[in-house]
Amino acid sequence: CGGGKKRQDDPRLRSGIARFAAAMAMRQTPLTCSGHTRPVVDLAFSGITPYGYFLISACKDGKPMLRQGDTGDWIGTFLGHKGAVWGATLNKDATKAATAAADFTAKVWDAVSGDELMTLAHKHIVKTVDFTQDSNYLLTGGQDKLLRIYDLNKPEAEPKEISGHTSGIKKALWCSEDKQILSADDKTVRLWDHATMTEVKSLNFNMSVSSMEYIPEGEILVITYGRSIAFHSAVSLDPIKSFEAPATINSASLHPEKEFLVAGGEDFKLYKYDYNSGEELESYKGHFGPIHCVRFSPDGELYASGSEDGTLRLWQTVVGKTYGLWKCVLPEEDSGELAKPKISFPETTEEEL
Amino acid sequence: MQTPLTIPVPVLRLPRGPDGLSRGFAPDGRRAPRMPEGPETPGSAGVQESRESQEQQARAALRERYLRSLLAMVGHQVSFTLHEGVHVTAHFGATDLDVANFYVSQLQTPIGVQAEALLRCSDIIAYTFKP
Repeated sequence: CGGGKKRQDDPRLRSGIARFAAAMAMRQTPLTCSGHTRPVVDLAFSGITPYGYFLISACKDGKPMLRQGDTGDWIGTFLGHKGAVWGATLNKDATKAATAAADFTAKVWDAVSGDELMTLAHKHIVKTVDFTQDSNYLLTGGQDKLLRIYDLNKPEAEPKEISGHTSGIKKALWCSEDKQILSADDKTVRLWDHATMTEVKSLNFNMSVSSMEYIPEGEILVITYGRSIAFHSAVSLDPIKSFEAPATINSASLHPEKEFLVAGGEDFKLYKYDYNSGEELESYKGHFGPIHCVRFSPDGELYASGSEDGTLRLWQTVVGKTYGLWKCVLPEEDSGELAKPKISFPETTEEEL
Repeated sequence: MQTPLTIPVPVLRLPRGPDGLSRGFAPDGRRAPRMPEGPETPGSAGVQESRESQEQQARAALRERYLRSLLAMVGHQVSFTLHEGVHVTAHFGATDLDVANFYVSQLQTPIGVQAEALLRCSDIIAYTFKP
């Protein structure tokens, strides 16, 4: 068992490549990024830069890593935290990274040299960090239930604090062109106005909120709780739609073109859904532990998952397309020999077990 | 269930992992500023390259020796010194790709014998064995 289950008779396969892949019965080959020695609990992509795009992973081993986004190649490890790193993010042009850790600090890093730029002391475990679009401010949140806004041009100045959460903050994000802030604790999601630092609206949940993603184009908020994957307006918090997965979901991500969403959770599997219809399109086994985080790349060509098993895996959005390390085999070239992978990969073997 | 004729998408190679030696962010990486274009004597570039290639050869030789030492350990009794003065012995089986974990058997610990175990290399301070 293992590998993917593709609906070969799905009438909605739009792209020629997808049709070809189905006709050739191509199986998803995930790319496993090793190196972490403990569960991977958070991951984030940068924007698209002249050097491609980048991926940062937060790990309980305290050593967040930077990777090339389209290949998964390791670039460097940010060394300095003295505890599990719970959150990690990159600024838009991937020149800076920020991390949130159990050592009661958030750190800002130079993502080109790997050097530590700033250590921001907190009063409890820090769980989440987010840069504004212009990289001038850093938002943090954690177990002390406070949102903090640091001016990165004045690192010595005290941060602005927003209180109101009644349980530890799991995720905090800038939204609406950095004019508002979205934050999630165990059972609520709150929207704050940046200028007045006051709460605008809140949502209550019966179950623990496991993740939150903000999509600027279209102002969509993706929230996961229990087996639900819910979509809300990021401006009004009004619900748009929601889907139920077969198992408890820990993280979900919406494709940039809003055609698909991917989700992963406690059953170790990744699910891909059609966003418009909610139909489950593909599902993949492969991870050896619960999936903690999943995100689409900024160009939507792949998605990355981080797991309790200590690995990150990269998955193709359109299976069989030539992209990054994946190489499409065209029908004209197929003499029967080329269709077989030329090198045997341990990954394929272990998934076939 | 798999349809019997599925072919895994071919890949050029696997993603590169940490080199295990440094924290990375190689100075000759794509985003680093270029080396200053100073006056170059004809020999200097050659000297630079030969020193780098000597270093690389030395690194390769040391790595090969280390890998051979791991091979020599297979099936032998190894004594491990772990944190906080803990000593354990076990029969060495194998290591993983990144040398992050050692697979051992008959692990003798202060609280009993474990038939099979994985020792996290980050927990090991030193180890010794007689070939």
